[in-house]
Parts: sequence; C-alpha cells; structure tokens
Amino acid sequence: MVATEQNRFRNFTWKQFKKNKPAFFSLYVLTFIAVIALLAPLLANDRPLYVKYRGEKFFPAFSWNKLIEVKTDSGAEVINSTAVDWKQMKLDDVVWAPVVYSPGKSDYANSNFVSPRSEQKFLKDGKLISMPSRFCHWLGTGSRGDDLIAGLIHGARISLTIGFISMFIATLIGIIIGILAGYFGDDQLLISRGKLFAIMIGILIAWFYGFQIRSNMLAAGLHNQSGGFLFQLLMSILIFSAILILFFQLGKLMERLPWLNKTFLLPADTILSRVIEIFVSLPIFLLIITIAAISTPSLINVMIIIGLTNWTGIARLTRAEMLRIRKLEYIQSAQALGFTSWRIMLRHALPNAFAPALISISFGVANAILIESSLSFIGIGVPPTITTWGSLISEGRENLHAWWMIVFPGLCILITVLAYNLIGEGLRDALDPKLKN
Amino acid sequence: MARYLLKRILLFIPTLIIISLLAFVISVNAPGDPVSRMMSSAESGDVFQSQNAVQLQQQKLWSHRLGLDLPVFYFSIAPGSFPDTLYKIYDRQERDALKSLLYQFGNWNSIDAYHSSLKKIFLDLDWIKLDSTDQKKFSANEINEVISQARFNTLALLTTSQISVISIKLDEMHSLFFNYPFFNFMLNDDRETQKTFDEMKTTSERWKNYFPTLHFYSNNQYHRWLFGDGVYSKGLICGDLGISFVSQMPVLTIIWQHIGWSLLFTFISVILAYLISLPVGIRAAVKHGSAFDSCSSVILFLLHSMPSFWVATFLLIIFANPDVLYWFPASGVKPVSGYPADASFIEKVKLSLPYLILPTIAYTYSSLAFLSRLTRASMLEIIQQDYVRTARAKGLSERVVVYKHAFRNALLPIITVFANILPAALGGSVILESIFSIPGMGRETFHAIQNQDYPMIVGVFTLTGVLTLIGYLVADVLYAAVDPRISFSPQGVLWTKK
Repeated sequence: MVATEQNRFRNFTWKQFKKNKPAFFSLYVLTFIAVIALLAPLLANDRPLYVKYRGEKFFPAFSWNKLIEVKTDSGAEVINSTAVDWKQMKLDDVVWAPVVYSPGKSDYANSNFVSPRSEQKFLKDGKLISMPSRFCHWLGTGSRGDDLIAGLIHGARISLTIGFISMFIATLIGIIIGILAGYFGDDQLLISRGKLFAIMIGILIAWFYGFQIRSNMLAAGLHNQSGGFLFQLLMSILIFSAILILFFQLGKLMERLPWLNKTFLLPADTILSRVIEIFVSLPIFLLIITIAAISTPSLINVMIIIGLTNWTGIARLTRAEMLRIRKLEYIQSAQALGFTSWRIMLRHALPNAFAPALISISFGVANAILIESSLSFIGIGVPPTITTWGSLISEGRENLHAWWMIVFPGLCILITVLAYNLIGEGLRDALDPKLKN
Repeated sequence: MARYLLKRILLFIPTLIIISLLAFVISVNAPGDPVSRMMSSAESGDVFQSQNAVQLQQQKLWSHRLGLDLPVFYFSIAPGSFPDTLYKIYDRQERDALKSLLYQFGNWNSIDAYHSSLKKIFLDLDWIKLDSTDQKKFSANEINEVISQARFNTLALLTTSQISVISIKLDEMHSLFFNYPFFNFMLNDDRETQKTFDEMKTTSERWKNYFPTLHFYSNNQYHRWLFGDGVYSKGLICGDLGISFVSQMPVLTIIWQHIGWSLLFTFISVILAYLISLPVGIRAAVKHGSAFDSCSSVILFLLHSMPSFWVATFLLIIFANPDVLYWFPASGVKPVSGYPADASFIEKVKLSLPYLILPTIAYTYSSLAFLSRLTRASMLEIIQQDYVRTARAKGLSERVVVYKHAFRNALLPIITVFANILPAALGGSVILESIFSIPGMGRETFHAIQNQDYPMIVGVFTLTGVLTLIGYLVADVLYAAVDPRISFSPQGVLWTKK
C-alpha cells in the first residue's frame, strides 16, 4: 500500500516534470553533453584510433602504454605516442578521431589565434601548404595554435566532473545537517550528561589520533600530488570515526552512573540553524578564491572547496522538509515500534526528504560550474596545464580579435548552466504542492 | 521588539567569532614566511645579509613585531613529546622540521641539543678569520664560495627532517671543515653536531607521541590579533587589520583609498537594477501567463545563467574594439592623462562617463535578472491572496490594487538585497574590476591574492564578513518593522528570509 502511494507520487512528479517542456528538453541536452564528456578522449585526440604502420596494427588512442615498439629492418623503432606528431608520419592506414587534436597541444603552423574562417596552414614535408579539410581547426585556434573544439570537448569533462563531485560533497554535508536539524528539532534530542561528556572528549581525542598525529603523513601526501593524500585522508577519517564510536559506547556505559544519567534536551535545530546562518553570511566567493589561492592548484582542491562552501541551500530545504515529515503518522508509528532514530532517519524519512534537495542540487551544480569557470578565468585554483572553458575565455581575452575564443566557450558554459537551472526550475514546479491542484 | 533586537544581537556575536576564527586560520596557514617577506621588503642591504647573527636578530625582531613568537591559540593539543615552548622557534620552516623530527624520534632533549649545535655552527660562521697563508693558498672566489656553501648547508640542515638527507649534508660539512684550514676551528662544533645527531637517532622515544597533552596560553597570536598588544598592533577590535606585505601600509588605509569606485559601481548598478526590474517583475506577475510574462521570463533566465566575466569580455570585444565598434574606452575609469587641473565636478563626470557605461552594464545585468525573478515570485504570491481579491471586489482600480495594496507587501525581498550593498562593495567584484581595470577594492583584492599579500586578503575577508552580518541584522530589523507578521522566534528570523 505504502509502496504504491510512493510510486504514485513519483509517477505524478515525473509526469509534472515532463509537462515542463524546457526542463525535459534540458535533460536531453545534458545527456548529450555528458556523453561528449565521457567519450572526450575518443572524440578529440591527436593520437589516431587505429593505425597501420610498417605492416603492424596499433590502437594508440586506446592504449595506456605511451611507448609503441615497431620492428624495422634494423632492430626496433620506439614511438612515444603522445609526443610524436602522427600527422607527419607515413602511415599505411589510419582512422582518426573526429577531431584530430588534443587540448592544449601546440600547432605552430596555426599559432597566434587563427580564425575559423581564415586560411589555415599545414606543414607537409617541411613546406607550409593550405590545410587539408580533415585536419581543419573548425572553430579556430588559440595563442599556441591549440585547437578550440578539442579544448571545448575536454572542458566539458572538467566542468561536469567539478559540478558533480563538488555537489556530491555538498549534498553529503547538507543532507546530514538538514536531516539532524529537521528530525530532532528543538524537542527530540534527549541526551544524558554522560554521553555528552563522552562525545565531547571523544571528539578531541579522535581528532588528536586521526589528524594531529598523522599531520606529517597528510602533509607528505599533499605534497606529492598523487592519490596519496586521499588515501591518508580516508585513513584519518576512519580512525576519527572509530574512536568517536568507541567513546559513544563509553558514553552509554557512563549513563549508568548516578550524576551522569541525568538527561536534558539538546536544541539540535537551533544549533545547526545557527551554523547554517553563519555559513550563509560568509562572503563565499571571496572565501573560495582565498582558499584556492593559498592551496596548491589542483582540480580536487577546487572540488573540495566548492563542495565545502555550497551546502547551505541543500541543508535548508532538507531541514524544512524533515520538519514536516517528522510530524507524519508513519514516522510516529515507526517511533512507537521502537526503531532507533538512525534507522528512522535514514531508511524511512530520508527517501521522502530528498526530493526537495534535488532542486537545490540542480541549481548547485550550475553554480559550481560557474564558480569553476570564474576561477579558471582568473587563473586561480585550476592548474594552468588543464584546459577548461574558463581558461579558454581568459586566453581569448589576450587578443580582442579572437572572438571565437570568447563566444564558443561562453556558449558552452551558458548552455550547461542554463540546462541545470531549467531542470532545477522544472523540479521545483513538479514538486511544489501548491501547483498540484 | 526590544527583546527581538537583543536576541538578534546576541546571535550576532558567535557568528562574528566564527568569521574571525576562519580568517585567522587562513592567515596562519597561508604559505610563505611573513618574517622573511617583511624583512626582504623592509630593507635590502646586502651588508646585513652576510652577518648571520644580525640576520637572526632581525628575524627575531620582526617576528616579535608581527606577534609570531607567540603560541597560535588559547590552547593546543599536542603529542606528549612536544615541549610547550615549541612556538618560540619563530622560523616556520625550522619549526616544521623540528616537529617532523619530534614525530620521528620523540626525544625533545636530544633534538634540542642537535638543533642548538646547528645554530651554534650558524653563528660561528661569522667568526671566520683569514690569515695570509689561506689567502695565498686559495683564491678569493673559492673562499667566498666555500663560506657561502657552508652557510647554505647549515640553513638547509636547520629546515630538514629527513634523516638520509641530514647525514649526507653533515658529511659534506665535515669535509668542508676538515679540508679548509680557516674552518678548522669549527671542527669542534662539527663533532658536537655529529654526536648529538647520533644520540638523537639512538635514544628514540616515539611512544611519547601517542599521549596527547593539553597546553593553555593566555597570551597568543589570536588574542593579539583581536585585541592588540599595545605596542605594534591595536587589534581587530579597534579596526587594526594589520600591515600589507606589499605596500607596507595599513590595510585599512588601502581599503579606504580604493573603496570609492567599488561603492559607486555597486550603488549605481543596484539603483538601475531596481528601476528596471521592479516594473518588469510586477507587470509579469500581474499579467501572469501572458506573452510579456513568458518573454521576460525566458530573457531573464538566459541572463541569469550567463557568467558575468563572459558578458564583460563580450561587451569589451564588441563595444571597445577598434575592429568592430569603438564606442567606449576599454579600461580604466578616467582619461589616461588624468582630469585637467581646473576641471569642475561636472566636467569630471562628463570625462569619466564613457568609461563607466560598460562596467555598469556588466554590474547591473546579473542582479537585474535576480531581482526581477524575485519581485515576480513574491508579487505572484501576494496577488493570489484574499485581501487583494477583496480590494478588487471593492471596485478599486487595478492601479491602486497593484501599486498601493499588493506592491507594498512584495517589497520585502528588496530590503535583503539592499542590505548587501556595503559588503558587496567592499569585496568588490574581483572579476569585473580586473577585466575593466577599475581601481577599486576587487582589483586590489585580486592583486593581493596574486602577490600572496595575506594581511590584505584576510582583512578584506574579515571586514566583508562583518559588514554582511551587519547588513543582515539591519535587514531583519527592517523586516520586523515593516511586516508585523514576521515571527520573532529564532526560526522565524532565519527562515522568512529568501
């Protein structure tokens, strides 16, 4: 019975959403962009997809191994597939990617901003000839002759990844805070003195063993730029939570002692609402550029920074929805059945409270993409070796004639952001109970 | 009302503390060494640089002036092996190396002995005396090179914590001291260092690290930053935001010098945005579902999704480009040659006007979209209410209904946006001001970020946060004054705001 009700709500929302033509169309647009982003290395690559060279067959675009060994009459010839210019080689047979350039790779024959309409040059046998149409830069080139389409295709990857991962972080924080504030409100969280003390001491000690002692290793992981940092961070978080759980159990034991068993109401909602309010009143963009400027430039850092600063909308919506849901009968009956708060929150309430958060997540992804492109535009946070839509525009700003460097990346940003905003708007309309009648 | 105000102001305090803590954490963790930044920009006399003792003294002086010889915060939790006076090592790299050694070995006494013996080498390098035999035996170049090599090696040793690197460097030092007779008096120091280094390795007490110790400090950097030390700093409370690394001027002075243009642009753009967006939003709401409504919605939505830096760059390449349309100058706010000496205010405005138009458009368009959508939404909600229907049923004209009855209540969101003017001006639009080269706060902040001028960055951040808070406070009070329906419960304060 409950299941069908839920299905009906879901079906109803989906129907409402479909009625919103622009929002529904945006879904298609986003799917298209996502496919392009996923297939980027196959769509724009200066390594051929398939190559026949000296009688041997290779798939340079698909292979992880950069060095290709080819047997010749006099021993073996080693080709570095990322460094060599395949277009200059005498190949028996070749299948190119749709765009035959990689982002950020120089093409000196067409350097210094060549317009898509003007004549492009191609170097063949040491002579400059006019560009064969297969190798044409369809949208022009940048300052070092780097192909614009290749940059756009790979930039889609960066933008979508940043949008998704940073919003994943934000959602995690926002949902946890929102659900705690909303479910417990100001009148539900009874806690004993023993537990409170145990948790407070536990946090300090867990922080000491999880982070302070390991600060050496964390710093080392941060400097060598590999995945080392993530692993160390994960370890730290694991240790932290393990110790915290230990102290939580200790608190349960301490509850049995006479003075420590006194319980009192913890106003969870007021406390967490204050936390949200504090975050709302921070100058977020200034905070982001400050932290991005201080930390070493890397995509992961940008994602973490954006994620850590953009969760307030999600938390607010989840909290408001949760305040409504916790008054519903099915939650009360779950409470009467003696389920633990965690189980009720996560298994019964969260699925229903998540819908409004979707609205905020959708707008949030759009916002994250805007922030990322602004950061790369001013050259902070994202490493200069990575081509993004924002960095392309900033490259185009060096040369006022190069309108293509400004128009096309800008359109990409606009379309993606617009799609996310439209979906957010569509979700809001579909989920708004006022419009149901 | 008074109770509400009091409650609101009380809530104001923890938020302020959090903002100050955040700013402080940023400034403490900022990379680079403030002492060497200050020393290098304060004086560039090579004479002093070569004197190690003088350099150490200078370092000590500056770290005292900047308050860096104090513990960071009111309390610290540290591994048991850490001495509670570790903060007195004012050089950050040295301190980090010591911390790392402590994590590896945990025996502070031996580490301290090793560290002091290195310091002694560093100071003794000042006392090298060259007699005539040395000068005959070695060329002046070689002598200089060897001395500077010894010096750099010692400095590197002071900031290294990798055991393998330390032993290699110590061997190098030993051969230096052994091979050059004028270094021979250092052999004693060298032996001592080697001995303490070996001792440090053998008497490891790593287990001490696993016991946390708690230290309390009443006088610390945060306290000093907030309340000043009475000599070098007056403290944040009295408006002292520190001294810029780059220009050596107080941060507050720099802010005063640059806030004018940012304030001007923010003010003009907000006024313009209101003038356009209110009528548009109201009309769209009143004629809900009409062609005007859907048209304006689409356009505003498009505007809303455009990145502002893109719009600004686009405006530049179209209207300030000699190839396309050269209607406006591309950058700055006044003619390059400055205003004529006897220009009156109106003449100045006339001269500056062409410079101001493109930035104003770029500043206005985004808040325009935002405001219109806000106005439309709140107007729609109000127009469907009973009292508006009653007003219509009474036979009032549409004009009176819309502008006198409905509009007043739809005005609420506007207060919020107005409260944001001051903080927005202070933070400036970092991106827009850089694109149009407006000498305002945004560009100044951007320069500070590029030059790693942390006192400036942190100052702007703190002040913006405080002003935002004040803005919200004023807005909430105005809300409560304008609309008696707003509840004064803590939830009401936060959640009625959009």
